[in-house]
Amino acid sequence: MIGEDQNIILDSIADGVFTVDNDWRITSFNNAAEKITGVTRAEAIGQLCKDVLKADICEKNCCLRATMKTGEQIINKKVNIINAEGHKLPISISTALLRDKKGKLLGAVETFRDISIEENLRKVIAQKYNFADIISKNHKMLRLFDIMPDIADSGSSVLIEGESGTGKELIARAIHHLSSRKKAPFIAVNCSALPDTLLESELFGYKAGAFTDAKKDKPGRFKLAENGTLFLDEIGEITTAMQVKLLRVLQEKTYEPLGATESLQHNVRMIAATNRKLEEMVKEGRFREDLFYRINVFKISLPPLRERMEDVPLLTDHFIDRFNTLQKKNIEGVSEEAMSVLMAYSYPGNIRELANIIERAFVLCKAGIIEKKHLPDFLSARQSHDINHKAESLRDAARVHLSNILKQNNWNCPQTARQLGIHKSTLYRKIKSLGIKIPG
Amino acid sequence: MRLALSVFKDCISTVFDAADQFLIVETDGTNNYRRISEKFLATDPTGRAAQLKNQSVDVLICGAISRPMQFAIISQGITVHSFIRGEVNHIIEAYQNNQLGGTAFLLPGCRRRARGNGFGKERGVRCRWR
Repeated sequence: MIGEDQNIILDSIADGVFTVDNDWRITSFNNAAEKITGVTRAEAIGQLCKDVLKADICEKNCCLRATMKTGEQIINKKVNIINAEGHKLPISISTALLRDKKGKLLGAVETFRDISIEENLRKVIAQKYNFADIISKNHKMLRLFDIMPDIADSGSSVLIEGESGTGKELIARAIHHLSSRKKAPFIAVNCSALPDTLLESELFGYKAGAFTDAKKDKPGRFKLAENGTLFLDEIGEITTAMQVKLLRVLQEKTYEPLGATESLQHNVRMIAATNRKLEEMVKEGRFREDLFYRINVFKISLPPLRERMEDVPLLTDHFIDRFNTLQKKNIEGVSEEAMSVLMAYSYPGNIRELANIIERAFVLCKAGIIEKKHLPDFLSARQSHDINHKAESLRDAARVHLSNILKQNNWNCPQTARQLGIHKSTLYRKIKSLGIKIPG
Repeated sequence: MRLALSVFKDCISTVFDAADQFLIVETDGTNNYRRISEKFLATDPTGRAAQLKNQSVDVLICGAISRPMQFAIISQGITVHSFIRGEVNHIIEAYQNNQLGGTAFLLPGCRRRARGNGFGKERGVRCRWR
């Protein structure tokens, strides 16, 4: 139905375009459609359009079917597709009928545009993250995802423990957006950034005249978070005096702004986070036991990135997508050599550090693939110090990664297997197949 | 052994994430098997994975599936054969005869992924009707 000339025209269009006959079989498929769906023209032609597009509306609310039935165009309808790589992509589709010169119905045409950039930007601006935005295939994280909706529903206080850069605020935001409080504000306060007096006025607010320069009332974060969620980051850093005040606020569900004579009621869910071991601080007498039990109704422990190294390739892809969106670049990925360097590093700064490494690589890499030379020198230096050979393939990268984790666990196989979430016999099989030699 | 197939009418549902129903096929190890039709109660990955786990599903055969959804289901110890298409009876028969990897049963463009568990499962692994 579509000639060579028409194909050239279709291929010059930035939007995906395909046409179907009256049996929903694809008769033409342009370059942009190949790129968005991950399906080549040769694979697509002659197939049912639903099998190629794989949109969530294909079976029950097909736009082409609606257009064929009513004759009316559909313009810019937002749907989600799953591309050949398993990525869910938001697209905007438009449909129209296809007729020949005599007006005889030949089929229909669908144009579609990848709107993931707009959607990602919207998400970054709104910071409305949900669990689908937390990227992991680590077994500890997946177990965490299992219980998250129940934790969100419960409305109880939550304590999130994890090293700096492990995504504590992201988890807190996700809990908020999953809970019944999602329409109310999520307010975050970093407790370590403010001295006691300022923290008190920041949390509870003050009345006009409470102190010099307090010319009018200022609402505190508790007031701003009313009916919503208050996220107290670095709660392990607050002083004992502040701990007492906070305990009272949690127990009584009331607080007093500075200079106020009356207490105010609040309806705020509290999520606290710390990079310290609060339990140990309680034992050492540096954190009040009663406050600890108040905030520790649910405890979430986020593993550091070095304990979920299988997530490094996924997170790297995610950051590349994000920086491509934000910086309007078109970096395609990382080379195998660069990935083996990334996999061999221990990330003391966790996911934030990986994000910074990728952001830095974006500055140096103008287009194409991020190579080893685009990564900071200290990564390569550490790698050559830690391992004796260069990883040249995915198999090498796996060997390097497994050797590093075994080293971290003092070559203790059962402990390593537990960390990786695999059975120890699987680990022994991997050690044998990758040719790793265990000392002693 | 319990096999689950996400279905729409008599076929595998094209997109698992958007599927409403699934069919459980149970066998006692012989040629006798029974079918139970179920509705998905959740749309999120953890909810779906939990429902399949609660139904003691061992293997899931489905159409296109998003990565978070597939990770969640695999994490429950369920083997996933993804990016499969075709009529349910043909698919069950193909699974029994270890022919699910045939091009006719794979969604266009997805040859690399539709190998059972999708990520990194090695070529040549046979699916068995236990």
